[in-house]
Amino acid sequence: MKMMLNKIINTEFLTFNEVLKLKVTIVNIFLLVFVVLSIPISSLNNLTLDINILLPLGFFIIIGITFLLTFVNLSRVAMHFSIYNVAGITLYFTAGTNNFYAYILFFVTLTIIIFYQDMVTYLVYGGIITIGGTFYIIQYGISFVGSNSLSTSVSQFTYLVVLIGFYLVFLIQFFISDSIYETMNNEWVKMDKILSKYNDLSVRHLASMLEKHDKEPLYKNTKFQQTVSEISVFINEFFEDEASNITEAVEYYFFIHDKEIEEIMNNKNLTLTTRKYAEQFNKYLMNKNSELVSILFDFATLFKETNEFDEYRYSYNINEIFDDKVDKLLSLAILYKYLKTEITQLDKFGFVKRKLDHSEISEMFESNLFREFISYEQLNFFKDNQELFDEYL
Amino acid sequence: MTHNNNRYQYSQLETYKERIELKHLKTKTLVINFINLILASVTIYFFIKLQIEARTFVSILVMFSILFFGNLAFYSYDKDQFNNLKMAMYFNTFGMYIISLTLIILFQTPSIFTALFLVYAITAVYQDYKVMVISNFSLFLSGTLLVFRFPSLFEIPGYSSADKAFIVIFLVVFVLLISLSSFILIKRKNFFYNQLAKIKEAEVRNIRILNKIENLVTKSSLDYKEYYDSLRTFSKEISKKIDVPDLFNRKISLLEDLKNHKMSEILSRYPEYSIEEVNKLKMLELSTFSKIKHIGLKASKHVDIDVESHEIFSEDQFKSFRHLNDDHYVKIISFTVFYTLLKIDKPYLKALDEKTILEALKESEFYYKIDRTVLKIYLENNEVFETIVKDIFEGGWSYEDDVKQDH
Repeated sequence: MKMMLNKIINTEFLTFNEVLKLKVTIVNIFLLVFVVLSIPISSLNNLTLDINILLPLGFFIIIGITFLLTFVNLSRVAMHFSIYNVAGITLYFTAGTNNFYAYILFFVTLTIIIFYQDMVTYLVYGGIITIGGTFYIIQYGISFVGSNSLSTSVSQFTYLVVLIGFYLVFLIQFFISDSIYETMNNEWVKMDKILSKYNDLSVRHLASMLEKHDKEPLYKNTKFQQTVSEISVFINEFFEDEASNITEAVEYYFFIHDKEIEEIMNNKNLTLTTRKYAEQFNKYLMNKNSELVSILFDFATLFKETNEFDEYRYSYNINEIFDDKVDKLLSLAILYKYLKTEITQLDKFGFVKRKLDHSEISEMFESNLFREFISYEQLNFFKDNQELFDEYL
Repeated sequence: MTHNNNRYQYSQLETYKERIELKHLKTKTLVINFINLILASVTIYFFIKLQIEARTFVSILVMFSILFFGNLAFYSYDKDQFNNLKMAMYFNTFGMYIISLTLIILFQTPSIFTALFLVYAITAVYQDYKVMVISNFSLFLSGTLLVFRFPSLFEIPGYSSADKAFIVIFLVVFVLLISLSSFILIKRKNFFYNQLAKIKEAEVRNIRILNKIENLVTKSSLDYKEYYDSLRTFSKEISKKIDVPDLFNRKISLLEDLKNHKMSEILSRYPEYSIEEVNKLKMLELSTFSKIKHIGLKASKHVDIDVESHEIFSEDQFKSFRHLNDDHYVKIISFTVFYTLLKIDKPYLKALDEKTILEALKESEFYYKIDRTVLKIYLENNEVFETIVKDIFEGGWSYEDDVKQDH
C-alpha cells in the first residue's frame, strides 16, 4: 500500500506503462470493493438466484484475470478487461428492478474510463456507454423519476442532459489536455534536440582546442583515471569487498573512449558482458556528446550569472521582438550577415569550420521551420532584394 | 536524505511557468464560460417548460448573470491577469456549486441531484489542485448531506431506503477515482510546465557556454567595423532601390555608438529615440551575449531540426546516472567521472569546492539524476571523496593550464 501511494505521489517520474499498470491496479481494487459491497443489493434484482450468484462470481473471475494481465505486464489489455468488467456490472444492474442504481452506474463506468486518461478509449468506450445510457433513460427513465417531480418528461430530460453533458465536458477536457500536452511535448523534444546540438558543438570545440595544442584529452590523463578508479573502489566497498572487478570496469571505461562502440557491440567474438558494458558506458563517454557531457553542461549552467526574466528572453522571432518595421528589416539584415559571416557549420570532416553561403541561407529562410525566426513579410522582403543581400552583406 | 529542490534552480522558472499557465488558463476560462452559458440556457428552457414562478426564475437567472459577468470582469482586467483568472477559477467553482445546490433544494428530485456530477466535471477542466480539493469537498459534503438531510429528494416510487448507502458508496468511488485521475493529470501538467520552463532557460545559458568556448577556441571576436560598414552600404543600396531616404543609417550609427557611449549620451545624441526604443535596439548590438547573436546562433543550428509525430517526451529522454537497466558498476563509475570533472577547472566551469558540490547535489534536481544508494554514500562520505581528489590532484589541473603549459 505504501509503495502504491509512493508511486501515485511520484507518477510524473514513472513510464507510461508503469502509470497504466498503477491505474489498472487501482481500478481493480475499486471494482473488487464495489462488487463485494453490491452483492447485498443484487438480491433486489429481478434475476433468478443462480444468475445472481453466477454473475458476481464472473465479475470476480474477470478481476482475477485483470490482475494476472497486469502482473505479466499486459497493462493495456488489462485496462480493456477492467472496462468490460465495469460495463458488465452496469449491464447487470440495468436488468434489476432499481433503475436509479443502473443510471448511477453509467457514471461509475464513465468515471473509470476517464481515470485512464486515454482519448481514444474515452471516445470509443465512453461514447458507447453514453449512447447505451441515453437509450436506457429513454426506455426506463420514467421509472426512476422522483416523487417530487413536477414533470416526468423534464426529469427524464434532466437525466439525459446530465449524462450527455458529463460525457461531453470530459471529452472537452481531453481535447484541451491533449492539445496542450502535444504542443508542449513537441516544443520540449525540439528544444532537447537543439540543446544536444549546442552541446555537440561545445564538445567539438573543446576537442579541437586540445588537438590544436597537441594535448592529451582528459580521459587519457593518468591522474584523472586514478581518481576515478579510487573513488569508484571506495563506493563499491559499500556493495562488495572485492575491488578487482570495478577496477577492471574503470579501465574498460577509459579504454573504449578511442574505440568504435558499434564495432564492439557487433563483434560476436567478444563476451556478452563486454558488449553490454560498452553499450552502457557509451552514454557516459567524455569525448562525445553523451549524457554525461550534457548533464555536466546543465550543471554548469546553474553557476552562470544571467539577467532577470524579461518579456523577450525566450523569444527568437524578430517579428515578435520588434514593433518598428525598420527595426525588423535591420535585424533581418544583421541575421543574414551573421549567418553568412560566422563559422557555424561542420565541414566534411566533422569540424566546425564552415560558413553558410547565400543559397543555403535562402533555403533556410524559405523553410517553414524558419518561421520561428522571421515572418512571411520579412521573407518576401528578402526574396525581393536578395541580390542586394548577397552582394553587400 | 532530506532534499530541497529550490535553492539551485533557475530563478527565471517561476515567471515563465506562470506565463505558460496563463495562456492555458485563458482558454480554459473561455471554455468553462461557454459551457456555463449552455447550462444556463438549458435551465431557462426547463423553467419555461415547468412554468416556474417569476421570483424563482429571476433569482436563478441573477445567479447565472453574476457568475457570467463576474468572469467577464476578471477576464477583462488586464493588470495581474494571472491572479485574476485564478480568482475567476475559484469564483466559478463556488458559484456553480451554489447554483446547483439551489436548484437541488428547489426541486428535490433525484434527476436534479445528478447535476452535481456535471458541475464536478466542469470544474475538472481547470486541472488545478486547489479547485480539485474544493470540488471534491463540495461534492462529497453536499452529496452526503443531501442524502441524509433531504431523504425525500431520493424518493422514487417503489424503492427501499437501502438507496442511501448506495449513493454514498457511489460518491466515495466517484470522488476517489476522479480525484486520483485529476491528481495524476495535474502532476503531469506541472511537470510539463517545469520541464519546458527549464529547457527554455537552459537553452539561453547553454548558448552562453557555447559562445564562451567558441571565443576561447577561435580567440577571435566579431569584426564589428566590417559588420557595420557592410550594413551601411546595404542600407544605402536598398534605400536607393525602394526610393526612400537612407533606411537604416541612423540606427546603425546608434548601434555603433552603443558600444562606446553611456545611455545618457546616446539619448542626447539621438533625441528622436526614446529610452524604450534604444533599449529595444540594444538587442541588435553585436556583443557576445546580445540577443541578435543568440538568434543567429540558434538559427544556424535550427534548420534541420524537425519533430516527428511519434517522438514523445518520455523518461528515456531524461539524462541521468541511474538508468534502470544499467549495471551498478556503470552507475558508480558514471557518477564518479561526473564528480571528478566538477573538481577540476574546465573552460566553461571552474573547479567547484566541496561545499558547493554537496549543496548543489542536495538542493537541485540533480539529486534525482544520481542513483539513490550512490548519492547516499557520497553525501555521507564526501570528505573521503575530497581527500582522494586532493591527494591525487595536488596543485590542481585544468584544461587551460595544461594548454598554456604546452605553449
